[in-house]
Amino acid sequence: MFFFYLLSGLFLGWSLGANDTGNIFGAAVETRMLRFKKAALIAAIFITLGAVFEGSGPSGTLGRLGSVDALGGAFTVALAAAIAITLIVRIGIPVSTSQTIVGAIIGWNVFSGRLTDYRSIITIASSWVMAFVLSGSIAAFLFYLARPWVNRSKSHLLVQDHFIRHSLVIVGAFGAYSLGANNIANVVGVFVPVSPFTDIHIWGRFVLTGLQQLYLLGALSIVVGIYTYSHKVMRTVGKDLFHLSPITALIALLAEAIVLFLFASRGLYNLLLSLGLPTIPLVPVSSTQVIVGAVVGIGLAKGGKNIRYNILGRISLAWVTAPVLAFLISFTMLFIMQNVFEQKVQEETNYIFDRLTITRILDDGFEAAALSGVNGRSFTSERDIYRELNELKDLSRDEITNIIGIAEIYPLMVDTIALTQSGMHRRYSPEQLAILREYEGQEFRHKWQLKTILIAHDEFAYYPEPDSELQKNQNRILDGQLHQLYRTFRKE
Amino acid sequence: MPLLLKTTRFVESQIDTFLDIVSDSATTFQLAIEDYLHGRIQEFEDRLSQIREYEHRADDLRVSIERFLYERTLIPENRGDVLAILENTDEVIDNIKDSLLQFSIEMPEIPSDLNELWMQTTKASVAAVEQLVFAVRSFFRDLAAVNNYIHKVYFFEREADQIGERLRRKIFAGDIELSRKSQLRFFAIHIEMVSDAAQNVCDRLAIYTIKRQL
Repeated sequence: MFFFYLLSGLFLGWSLGANDTGNIFGAAVETRMLRFKKAALIAAIFITLGAVFEGSGPSGTLGRLGSVDALGGAFTVALAAAIAITLIVRIGIPVSTSQTIVGAIIGWNVFSGRLTDYRSIITIASSWVMAFVLSGSIAAFLFYLARPWVNRSKSHLLVQDHFIRHSLVIVGAFGAYSLGANNIANVVGVFVPVSPFTDIHIWGRFVLTGLQQLYLLGALSIVVGIYTYSHKVMRTVGKDLFHLSPITALIALLAEAIVLFLFASRGLYNLLLSLGLPTIPLVPVSSTQVIVGAVVGIGLAKGGKNIRYNILGRISLAWVTAPVLAFLISFTMLFIMQNVFEQKVQEETNYIFDRLTITRILDDGFEAAALSGVNGRSFTSERDIYRELNELKDLSRDEITNIIGIAEIYPLMVDTIALTQSGMHRRYSPEQLAILREYEGQEFRHKWQLKTILIAHDEFAYYPEPDSELQKNQNRILDGQLHQLYRTFRKE
Repeated sequence: MPLLLKTTRFVESQIDTFLDIVSDSATTFQLAIEDYLHGRIQEFEDRLSQIREYEHRADDLRVSIERFLYERTLIPENRGDVLAILENTDEVIDNIKDSLLQFSIEMPEIPSDLNELWMQTTKASVAAVEQLVFAVRSFFRDLAAVNNYIHKVYFFEREADQIGERLRRKIFAGDIELSRKSQLRFFAIHIEMVSDAAQNVCDRLAIYTIKRQL
């Protein structure tokens, strides 16, 4: 059943392979610097590698925006994104899955009564603008670096051609890797919370995690897209959208690859963190807009005479129309799926404000008066709680999200055998596993109860008030581990 | 990759050889005219045969370069321009050969008082061709220098025109039959045409250079 529902995600993958590979190799293939067969092979290999080994960063950001918790919901969200992208591309606006999937997830949040994390929306939306501007700036910078080399070079035209040809292969591979890493979240990101895959151990040495298997499947759908349809798109991108010379194509491609990598690499993120430098959010961005940004950057560096400025207007339009359209389609389709086809598009979640949860909320520093509207009541929707809490006291969205997290009923039972059987135990240190075994069979009604007993141990170190990016990152890692435990220990 | 680099080096050497032949043809042309003006007809004929040989080799090389560029899809963005440059440069050799061939066929009698102007026109035309060879070589190896050489080609082409005009005026001012004057004018124009051909290549080369610059 999972595989049937995954089809909509795989369709998105096919569309990504067909469309976005053109943004990497379009100019190189159209200028005949690379043959399609070679370009397709490089794209297939490196998009898959990027997706499997580096795809988790942007996926996590999408997960924070909204965690679609039922297969039917994930199917509908991915399908809504795919339909939205098809419609918008037909109008001729350069858009990508990144924009539509966000709108579709918010559609699910609203439909299922969940609160949307505004900070994630701001992070994602500002990243789209940032990616566009950044790729233009990097391309312009690279152009200024390359100009003296090309104009004053003493190397033979044929040697330059040889160099550019091989650089296109190397940079193209880097671009494909970054595209896979950055955009796989768009393809199967919504299926992450409902994925049934467990870790596979190869010769006892290598582990292919459940997440990586899901990404691998998504990557294979991208590869099918590359081989079945991308040739046509590459020709269109290379010829119609922007005709580039091989050297400018190389500059644009390098700028695109760098930007996609910056917004995808967890390794780079951690490196910047450890150096105390500002980090770049791990967000899926649009490769189409990034390459257009690079071309505009080169155009401006050349003096800005040949730039079609209307394309900037169309891109700004895409930032707004794509999420809005996807939101509307997603919401409508979820309604139809649930009420006409009677499919489960969300898990029913209950929230209770009993003595236990209220005490815990008060311990967190909230005033009792603020809770009088919800005290002793049960809820089935986050939005209802939000409304009640907001009426009495002006609490911030973060505070309300915190309260909702405490009130959520999520029955758990510590079961380290299930953890071992699913292969997920490899994500925990032997010390952490030993602590989990101490609580074997113990039951909890709320997620925070399990978290509270675990973070009391040094092995599950958590910083309640992190004062550095490093501590924030440590918290994020622990949250990921806890999230896995919640899924594995959940009692039906 | 090494195979491709080998092909690249091979084509590179073929282009260099082609340009060497153009340069040698120009020098041989000057020597041939000198031989003719001094009545060394046998040496002149030898030079003509040498130029015929150059012309064949240049044609073969041009076809071979063309084949390699297309078969191996080398410099796909510039190959049309490169082939146009090679074809037009090849026409300079054709012009040189045609000019000498006409001398060989018609054997015009040139009054000795015209010798100096005749040689000066020839030297200006040959200088234009030599500067053209530098310009084309620079197009491949040193883009920044191309315009300097193009400027020099234009200079020597104008020089050839001016001296050629003086030569033609002197021909018609001389005391010889009108039919001979007419014949000599035809030969004088033929020599000027060599520098005109060099200038035509440069007109294209200037545009191709702008296209290649970033």
